[in-house]
Amino acid sequence: MAVSYGWAGKILRVNLSNGRITTEDTSKYKDYIGGMGIGYKVLFDEVPVGTHPHDAKNKIVFGTGPLTGSGAPCSSRTNVTSLFPTNPMHLVADSHMGGNFAASMKYAGYDAIIVEGKARGPVWLRIEDEKVSIEDASKMWGQGIYNTTALVASEMGKEASIAAIGQAGENLVNLSVIMNGYSHSAGGHGSILGAKKLKAIGIIGTGSLKIAGNSKDLLDTNSYMLKELIGANNNHVVPSTPQPWAEFDSKGSRWTAQKGLYWGAAEPPVETGEIPPGDIKTVGLRTQKGVKDLGPVAEKYTKRMGGCQSCPIRCFSQLEIPQLEKYGVSRFVSNTCMGYSAPNGVMIKGTVDQFEKDDGTFISKTLGSQLADDYGVWCNYGMLGREFKYIYESGKLKEVLSEEEYNSIPFDLLEAGDPAFLKDFYRRITFKEGEFSHLGDGTYWIAERWNLGDDFWHGKAQKIWSPLGYPVHHSNESGAQVGALISCMFNRDSQSHTHQNLIQSGLPADILREVSAELWGSEEAFDFPAKYTPMNQYKAKFAKWSIVRNVLHDSLTVCNWMWPMMVSPVKSRNYRGDTALESKYMSIVTGENYTEEALDLAAERVFTLHRALTVKQMGTVDMRNKHDVMMDWVYDMDTDMEPFTEGTIKMDREDMQTALTMFYEEMGWDKKTGAPTKETLNRLGLDFAARELESMNLLP
Amino acid sequence: MEEKSKKKFLERETTRREFLKLTGKGFGGAVISMSILSMLGCESEQTVAYALPSGLLVADASRCTGCQRCEISCTSIHDEKIQPFISRIKVSENYNFGTDGPRIDYYRQNGQFGNLSMSPETCKQCRDPYCGRACPAGAIYADPKQGNARVVDTSKCVGCGACEEACPWHLPTIDPETKKSTKCVACGFCAENCPTGALRMIPWEDVKKAMRRSGYRFS
Repeated sequence: MAVSYGWAGKILRVNLSNGRITTEDTSKYKDYIGGMGIGYKVLFDEVPVGTHPHDAKNKIVFGTGPLTGSGAPCSSRTNVTSLFPTNPMHLVADSHMGGNFAASMKYAGYDAIIVEGKARGPVWLRIEDEKVSIEDASKMWGQGIYNTTALVASEMGKEASIAAIGQAGENLVNLSVIMNGYSHSAGGHGSILGAKKLKAIGIIGTGSLKIAGNSKDLLDTNSYMLKELIGANNNHVVPSTPQPWAEFDSKGSRWTAQKGLYWGAAEPPVETGEIPPGDIKTVGLRTQKGVKDLGPVAEKYTKRMGGCQSCPIRCFSQLEIPQLEKYGVSRFVSNTCMGYSAPNGVMIKGTVDQFEKDDGTFISKTLGSQLADDYGVWCNYGMLGREFKYIYESGKLKEVLSEEEYNSIPFDLLEAGDPAFLKDFYRRITFKEGEFSHLGDGTYWIAERWNLGDDFWHGKAQKIWSPLGYPVHHSNESGAQVGALISCMFNRDSQSHTHQNLIQSGLPADILREVSAELWGSEEAFDFPAKYTPMNQYKAKFAKWSIVRNVLHDSLTVCNWMWPMMVSPVKSRNYRGDTALESKYMSIVTGENYTEEALDLAAERVFTLHRALTVKQMGTVDMRNKHDVMMDWVYDMDTDMEPFTEGTIKMDREDMQTALTMFYEEMGWDKKTGAPTKETLNRLGLDFAARELESMNLLP
Repeated sequence: MEEKSKKKFLERETTRREFLKLTGKGFGGAVISMSILSMLGCESEQTVAYALPSGLLVADASRCTGCQRCEISCTSIHDEKIQPFISRIKVSENYNFGTDGPRIDYYRQNGQFGNLSMSPETCKQCRDPYCGRACPAGAIYADPKQGNARVVDTSKCVGCGACEEACPWHLPTIDPETKKSTKCVACGFCAENCPTGALRMIPWEDVKKAMRRSGYRFS
């Protein structure tokens, strides 16, 4: 085979029903870049409409792209694509995980792994470069993710990179994850592997990723990015406290490094310090995520930061908390963001101090993250806790559970603010114990099962965004219509962080408005926080660009929690980033001349294919009324205020319809229904989708 | 690959056990016995066949966050490709379960699935290098152009793997694509590009001091 640059060149296909293991050429997916693009194309072409996610006919695609493992910063993201169990119509969706797994896939020689069929008994997949085998997993079945990983490593060798499901995935709990590297999880697809009886995938890759261009150019580009462009986690580019080197600071910034703030449990303790941009050797100290996620009490327990292969921004905090052994879990914890806050959300009566002052939520977060991670339970981006709160406080739980089951749940612990409640909570969900465990089915399914009405769906406290059963994830609170539009476009909570990164970067709004004008044509694209204005076409461009870059990143694959480089921490650059950086990397790595526009177009193709697949699966072109729908609280909150008055983030119904229309026009979709037109599908080279939708009478 | 991996693992275990017996100490400790130093060649009385190196790469396990950018930097600059397997500094292979691999009590041993400790391993540029002594082709020599670092002459290397076997830490690695050995040349490029400053080049003379320095892993 000819040498392949960037791409590994091969896709691995494993059929668990008949044991067939084959490879195919990646080149037929090149127009879709990789990762997410390969995932949608495979699902569009190969999975029949109406398939249940847990059926043997469903397929799951682990996708990487040409930049995965290339050494470009933040480039070890695995994009997982399959039917989504929590979605009411089981529409296609992606989940994502960092860690080492994606890079290992590339070094083993695979751009993607397609798993199809269903094994008769528990198996795991062993990949050592070109040698691939299906192994017996009966000894692993029933084990948590941690033990499973250790068991696979003891067979393959310590260097193996391993993705696994826990008991939640095995038991077909909809809210379950696939995880690698102790805490890097792809939420919502664990049960797909469970249904296929695939417990784990282990990879050892001894091969290389080859660079077409001069490797010096690659190194220079790395240096340029690290010295001049990159900020802290989420590309926040100003420190959280005033510092001599910094013109600006912002309290909410994840650039938390400062004098006197340490990784307190490192030996010796490591000071984060005042660290101006420009020095590669301190980039990884910028974010002290333990304190950011867990509060000041976390500092002295923080051993180090952690994160993904190739990423200089360490956004996972890693702690040693001896007190956790009291609850029967390890004293060592690693996680980030929602991995910590979701279990704390289950403690709906709060957590009282456990061992020292102000450690209540700290213990809930760190204990809960270990329980959820080992069982492999997903939180639906925080919905799990809010749903529990609703059914408990509304009395619904008492109604739907037998008295015996209700009384068996230790609500006394919950009421007393004792985090030991979490052990009981996660065990019931994982092992499907009783009616209570249906909380693990997901928002839509519990609403159906327990007949939850409008005040559940439309109440502000639940933060449900869509009738498809997913919550707010940087929605109307993030850029008004921009975040709202983005949150309507996928089949699960939106994974786009592009707009959020810019809005939260920490730079003054005036600068961000200038940047917005440069990127999308007018400062009007960017609203000041909670000082919203009616919809305009620049916001539609901002929303489209955000999604396109998100899709691009999940196809390349690089991390959309850092990329794109819209702004910079460097004053002499006037804080301007470089949005052509993805294309610079692609040109060096692949040896082909990629422009920013060419990559954006490819990502637009991938995103429109997602839309076409959604239309195909839903069997309707009426995306506006059947898909792109928001719950009432978004329009009805702050009853004493009108939309577009300062201090509220409420949206206006008519204005949102205008927003949808403008967005559809930007995408070249039918402005009435929001379905992709034949012309647009053909323009993007998606003729096959146009033909298929036409045959199903699903073109607008 | 499978057989090789298994063999490598078993051999390493044996080597390590013997090594630990020699020292009577665990790894990562602040106390370094003379026998470890002599194994390094630091106190060797035998005839020195290799000119003394000038520099040494050391890793601070406390500051290492496991990002593996060093492996990327190393193979980009030396091999013009990205291939962590042949990196001259080893981080990823010890990432999940430390240098010794998963044990029954993995949850308290080194590694991400244990005590979260990192185990970056670096070449010691031994005074009397095991790799060089073992090489049947005489391909490993002290290169004056590179500060007398022990380097591989790829024109002589036959890819037999004797250097990898002989090294107590198995740091030289045969590139499965070129069939040539790769080993650290103490260029310091990884250290320049470590995002937490966990890697440093120090004068070779300071090796004993470096190993005793709190926070620097004996790696």
